Amino acid sequence: MKIVIAGAGSVGRYMAKQLAASGHTIVIIDNDASAVFRLQSTDSITSFQGDACEVDVLAASGAAEADVVAAVTGDDEDNLVISLLSKQEFGVPRVVARVNNPNNEWMYNEMWGVDVSVSTPHLLTGLVEEAVTEGSLVRLMAFDHGKSGLNEVTLADGSPAINQTIGSLQLPREATVVAVLRDGHVVAPALDTVLHAHDEVMVLSSGDCEAAIRAALIGSK
Amino acid sequence: MHTIIVGCGRVGSTVARELDADGHSVVIIDRKPEAFRRLGDNFKGRTLTGIGFDRDLLTAAGITAECAVVAVTNGDNSNILVARVAREMFGVERVVARINDPKRAKIYERLGVSTVAAVAWASNRVMQYVLPRRGTVEWSDPTSTFHLAERRVSAELAGTKISDAGVNIALVVRNGVAHVGESSMLLQENDLIHILGTADHIESFDNGSSIAGAH
Amino acid sequence: MALFRRKKTEIAPVEAVRGIPMAEVPLRTSVTVCGKVTRMRTRPAHGVPALVVTLRDETGFVTAIWTGRRTIGGIALGRTICLEGVGTKASDGITFMNPAYTLVK
Repeated sequence: MKIVIAGAGSVGRYMAKQLAASGHTIVIIDNDASAVFRLQSTDSITSFQGDACEVDVLAASGAAEADVVAAVTGDDEDNLVISLLSKQEFGVPRVVARVNNPNNEWMYNEMWGVDVSVSTPHLLTGLVEEAVTEGSLVRLMAFDHGKSGLNEVTLADGSPAINQTIGSLQLPREATVVAVLRDGHVVAPALDTVLHAHDEVMVLSSGDCEAAIRAALIGSK
Repeated sequence: MHTIIVGCGRVGSTVARELDADGHSVVIIDRKPEAFRRLGDNFKGRTLTGIGFDRDLLTAAGITAECAVVAVTNGDNSNILVARVAREMFGVERVVARINDPKRAKIYERLGVSTVAAVAWASNRVMQYVLPRRGTVEWSDPTSTFHLAERRVSAELAGTKISDAGVNIALVVRNGVAHVGESSMLLQENDLIHILGTADHIESFDNGSSIAGAH
Repeated sequence: MALFRRKKTEIAPVEAVRGIPMAEVPLRTSVTVCGKVTRMRTRPAHGVPALVVTLRDETGFVTAIWTGRRTIGGIALGRTICLEGVGTKASDGITFMNPAYTLVK
């Protein structure tokens, strides 16, 4: 795959090296010459000095042929503009963008041409919650332009799902239990799997069915 | 009329002071409170420190669909973010953004954002967007018989054939590109048109009576 | 005051825009297509409105999405418009995001 990475900070450079090692062709752009040339140019990695927010720079870096553009600068305004131009002017099929300030996360969607956004603070918070929270629904990850998500509920003592089979849970059609973590083991979910207290239930859902998932696994407050 | 200005640099502070002096309600936003010194001691408007595309800050600034928003920070990217949030999230129609890169300015015009380049007379241009004063003209011939007036096409007028506009439309600037006004061309929302005519012609265009089929 | 005759020069009118057949739209490059508006809806996404328009010609259809707007003056069912922009593949056909448009009829 041809991948254009905008932003040659530590995140961008790491991505370039990893993705090149997986066999992809990378072009990495940064306005700061010293940052962009810190990366060794190889057959798979081309470094480009320029402002990725400019149409000409994106064109010269091959955005019109790129399969993915990753906007991973340290500046949300730049990432949003790069994403918009990539999607609107170059038809890039997949645009991935980094959220620096969580307050700006609400803009990272199709309005600005973003297909997938990644916010480190958000991910960290989700993982912390997953580790310490029992009896609440934690949203671990979003996929598919935010339409689908992986959710996690650790069953607290009062949960209506305890001693119920997965098949008997009142979950909507758009939600599926994909795994149950119990005592450090993964339990593959079958319709007749009985749930226990403190089970970590992972639910993959599309659409907006958080309320139904809460009702089935947490119960009413 | 309430105006929110984002960016208290040369253009922003000039526009803020002019509007304030005319008695309009003004709020000016900047990330750095030191920038507000440019407003001088007589400024009666409000200042807010913060990021101009933050929804909460704009709400605190009193943003409504009826106000005007001017994005004139030093950064093109900040300006387009402010402009789109104002237009698309808050429904503001009178939005103008300073965009230096002409290529991006063309692209942003397609999003319905009026853009102004950073030139010496930028504050005048911005004022025209904020307070579109009817009756203003850009040029008059030495005998003051014929005038050139710049006007924006409203949504209501979109779809009208130039030949039905009832005035001589010399030039249509659309998405940053100028076209000679041809009679069969259809006007579109947000087109910037240059009308050449007498004062009566221009007035009849301004009050809608020049349009063929107008009541 | 001098009188002069001006020769009428032929200038191609702006709306003699030629589009390519919608069935042949290549992706990833700027193209022009023209067609009739057959469907219009406003579809809010992430708290922001969007105008979604389906355009048809004899060979197929494309979708245009204008973010942040509910209406565009002159764009209505049955009207002919031309779009200029870069098409991307969507779940159903080709989509143009915020394209430049020209009202034709």
